[in-house]
Amino acid sequence: MEQFFTAVSMLFTTWVVPAALGGLIWGILGGATPGLSASITMALLLPFTYAMPPMPAIVMLATCYIGAEYGGSIPAILIRTPGTNASAATIMDGYEMNRQGRAGEALGLSLWSGVVGGLFGLAMLILLTEPLSRLALLFKPTTYFGLGILGLSVIASLSSKSLLKGLAAALVGLMISTIGTDPISGVSRFTFGAPDLLDGIAPLFVMVGLYAMTELMMRAGIMGNIIKPNASIRVRLPRLPMMKKVARSQAIGCGIGTVEGLMPGAGGTVAAFIAYNECKRWSKTPEEFGHGAPEGVAGPEAANNTVASASLIPLLSFGIPASNSGAVLLGGLLIHGLLPGPRLFEQNSDVVLGIYVGSFVADIAQVVVGAVILPLCVWLVNRPKPYRSAFILALILSGVYTVHMSLFDVGIVLASGMLGYFMKYFGYPFLPAVLGVVLGNLVESNYRRSLVLSGGDLGIFLEDPIAIGFFIAAALIMAGALLAEWRASRVRKAVSA
Amino acid sequence: MRLFRKQFSALCAVAAIAVLAMPASAQNAPQKIPYPVKVVTLVTHSSPGAGSDVFLRELVRYLQKYVNATFIVENDEGGSGAKAVSRVASARPDGSMLYASSPTYILTSLLSKPANTYRDLEPMANFFTDSEVIYVRAESSIKTVKDLIDRAKTTRGRWGAANPGSLERQAAEQLKIAAKVNAAVVSHEGGGDMMINVLNGTLDMGVGEMEEIRAQYEAKKIRVIATFNGERIPALSDMPTVKESGYNVVLVKFRGIAGPKNLPPAITKIWDDVAQKILADPDYQKVYNAEHLSPHFIGHEQYGPFIAKFAADTGAYLKSTGVIR
Repeated sequence: MEQFFTAVSMLFTTWVVPAALGGLIWGILGGATPGLSASITMALLLPFTYAMPPMPAIVMLATCYIGAEYGGSIPAILIRTPGTNASAATIMDGYEMNRQGRAGEALGLSLWSGVVGGLFGLAMLILLTEPLSRLALLFKPTTYFGLGILGLSVIASLSSKSLLKGLAAALVGLMISTIGTDPISGVSRFTFGAPDLLDGIAPLFVMVGLYAMTELMMRAGIMGNIIKPNASIRVRLPRLPMMKKVARSQAIGCGIGTVEGLMPGAGGTVAAFIAYNECKRWSKTPEEFGHGAPEGVAGPEAANNTVASASLIPLLSFGIPASNSGAVLLGGLLIHGLLPGPRLFEQNSDVVLGIYVGSFVADIAQVVVGAVILPLCVWLVNRPKPYRSAFILALILSGVYTVHMSLFDVGIVLASGMLGYFMKYFGYPFLPAVLGVVLGNLVESNYRRSLVLSGGDLGIFLEDPIAIGFFIAAALIMAGALLAEWRASRVRKAVSA
Repeated sequence: MRLFRKQFSALCAVAAIAVLAMPASAQNAPQKIPYPVKVVTLVTHSSPGAGSDVFLRELVRYLQKYVNATFIVENDEGGSGAKAVSRVASARPDGSMLYASSPTYILTSLLSKPANTYRDLEPMANFFTDSEVIYVRAESSIKTVKDLIDRAKTTRGRWGAANPGSLERQAAEQLKIAAKVNAAVVSHEGGGDMMINVLNGTLDMGVGEMEEIRAQYEAKKIRVIATFNGERIPALSDMPTVKESGYNVVLVKFRGIAGPKNLPPAITKIWDDVAQKILADPDYQKVYNAEHLSPHFIGHEQYGPFIAKFAADTGAYLKSTGVIR
C-alpha cells in the first residue's frame, strides 16, 4: 500500500510522466517507420538518455519499447509493411481490413489490443516477477528447439491453399536463415567473403521486402485503385460488442505473450504468430481469418505488446535480455551504473517503481497519442496512388538505409521484393517463408546445441518435459491441418464428380 | 540521419563535458595536453550500450579532462566491424578519427574478406584487458579448476562459451586440450542464453567476461573459480588464474585505440602519454575497478607486435579447429 502511494506521488513529483510520454511517442514513430525495428528505435534513443538521471532515462527506454511494439502495427495495417518483426502477423488480417475500407476499425482494434496486452504484461511484471523468473530458468536448449518446432508447425495450418507450396516457401525461408556465421562452429556460411553477411540476413528486411516491395510492384502493374479508399479517416476504438468478440483472442495473446516474454531469444515475433494461429483455432469463425477477421488483429497485437512488458521479467531479475530490445535496455541500465539482477529491486527500487509507473502511463497514453497520430496516417495513405506508392517506396528504403547506413541492406530488401513478386505470381504464400527466416536460427542452433550436450544422443529431447509438450502441440497442429486438407480435397473431388 | 546523429553525439559530448569536467576544472584546472585537431571522432562497431560503446563513452569523460580537444563517439555498426574499420582506415592520418580496437576486428578480418582488415590500421595504445573467468552456479560442487577437470574426466563435461567465434570459446577449447579431457564445448549466442544454462545446471561451467556476469556474481547466484587473465584480477585477488592452476592457457581480451596508417609520431606519443595518465586517474580507477576491467597499458611501440601476435595465434587456432582454411 505504501508502495502505491509512493507510486502516485511519483506521478507528480518526478520526471516520470514526461519521460514516459517522450519514450512512447518516439517509440511509436520509430516502430511505425518501416525497417526500424523496436531495438533500433531504442538504440537511436539511447544516446539522448546519457545525460539524464537514471530513473527517467530507463523509463524512457522502457516506454519506447512499448511504443515501438505498438507502432509497428500501423504500417502493417496501412501499407502492408511490418514496422517491427512482431507486427508481421498483424498484416494478414489488418491489411485485409484496410483493403475493405475498414482501416479505422483495424487501427482502433490494434490500439485497444495494445493497451490490453501492455497492461496485462505490466500486471505480470508487478505481481508475478518472482515466480515467473523461476519459470524462466526451466528453459533449456531442448525447450527452445521444441518451441521452434511448434512455431514451424503453424506453417501447416496457415498455408491455406496448398500445403506443398507452403512447405516450399518455408524451405526458402529456412535457407535464407542459414546465411551468416554458423551459430555453433563459427564457420562462415554462404557469405562469399562479404563481411555484410557475417551477421546473417535480418528477418525484418526480408519481411519488408516480401510484403511491402512485392505489394508496391503488384500494385504498379494494376490500373486504378485496388484498395477501397477509406471513407473516413477517423479511428474507431472498438465498442462493447466488438470488445467482447475479441476478448478471447486477446486473452490467448496475453497468455502466449507472457510465456514468450520469459524466453530469451523467442521474443514478440514468435508470440504473435503462435497467437494468430491459436486465435484462429479457437475462433468460432475460423474461416474469416485472412479475410479481415478482427480477432486476427487483436490476438497478435495483444501478444506482442504483452511481450514488451513481460520480457522485462528476466531482464530485471537476472540481467538477461530476452531480445535485442532487452539488450539495448540492459545497455541503458549499465551506462547509468545500474546492475540489473536480484539486487536491483533492493538497491534501486525507485528505478523499478519508475518502470512500473512509466509503463502504466505509457499504456494509457497510447490511446491519446494514437488518436492524434492515426488519422494523419490514414489521411496520408488515402492520397492518390502514384503519390502514395512513391512515398511508401521512399519511406521504406530510407528507413532501411538508416539502420546501418548500408546500401547492402537496401539490396537485401529489393532482392526479397523480387523473390516475393515471383512467389506471389506463382501462388506461394509468404507467411511460411517469414516463419522460416525468423525461426530457422532458433531451431537449428538449439537442435545442434542439444546434440553437442548429449554427445549426439537424440534421447536428450525426451528428457525435457516442456519440450515434449511443445512437440505434442506441434503434432496436433500438423495433424489437424492435414486432416483439413484431406477433407477439402474430398469435397473438391465430390463436387467435380 | 548520419548528420543528425553526428550533431547529436557532439551535443552529448558537450553536455558530458559540461557536467563532468566542471568540478575538475574548478578544483585544480590541470594543464591540458594540446592536440593537433579540435574534434576527434572515436568510431566503434558496437551498437549503443554494447561493449566497446560503453568503453568509449566512459573513456571520453576522462579524455576531455586531460586533452585539449572535443571527443565524439560514433557507432558505425554493420559487417561485424568491417564498416567501422574501413572508415577509419581511409580517414586522414591526423589523429581526428580513431577506432576502438577489440578482438572483434581481428576475428572479422580472419573470418571474411572485408575491404580493409586489421592490417590497415595502426594499433596505438591499449587500455584494458577484460577479465575472462570460469564461473559455476552457486550450488555446484566444483570449487577449483581441478574439480572441473576431474569432473570432465569421469563424466561428460558440459562447458559453455558465448559466441562460436569468440575468445571465450577459444579459451574453453584450449583448456580442453591443455587438460587432455573431452568436454563438450557448447557455444551460444550471447552471454544471456549461456547464463540461464549455467544457472539451471545444463552446463557445468561457463566462460564469460566478469562485467557480463557481475549481476549474478554480486547476488551470489554464481561463483567464479578462475580467470584466464595472465595475472590475478586486482579486485578479486583470492581467485587464481587458470595458468596458476596448472593449465597453460592465457587469454587477453584487449581494449585499446587504433588509427589509420602513417600517423605522425607526435600523435602516437600523445596517446601513449594520455593513456597512462587516464589509467592513473583515481576517479576512473573507481569506475573500471567496479567493472573488473584490468588496466593493461601497452604503448604504441609494443602494441603493433602485440596485435600481430594475437592475430597469428587466433588464426592458428581457427585453422586448427577447421573454422577457416
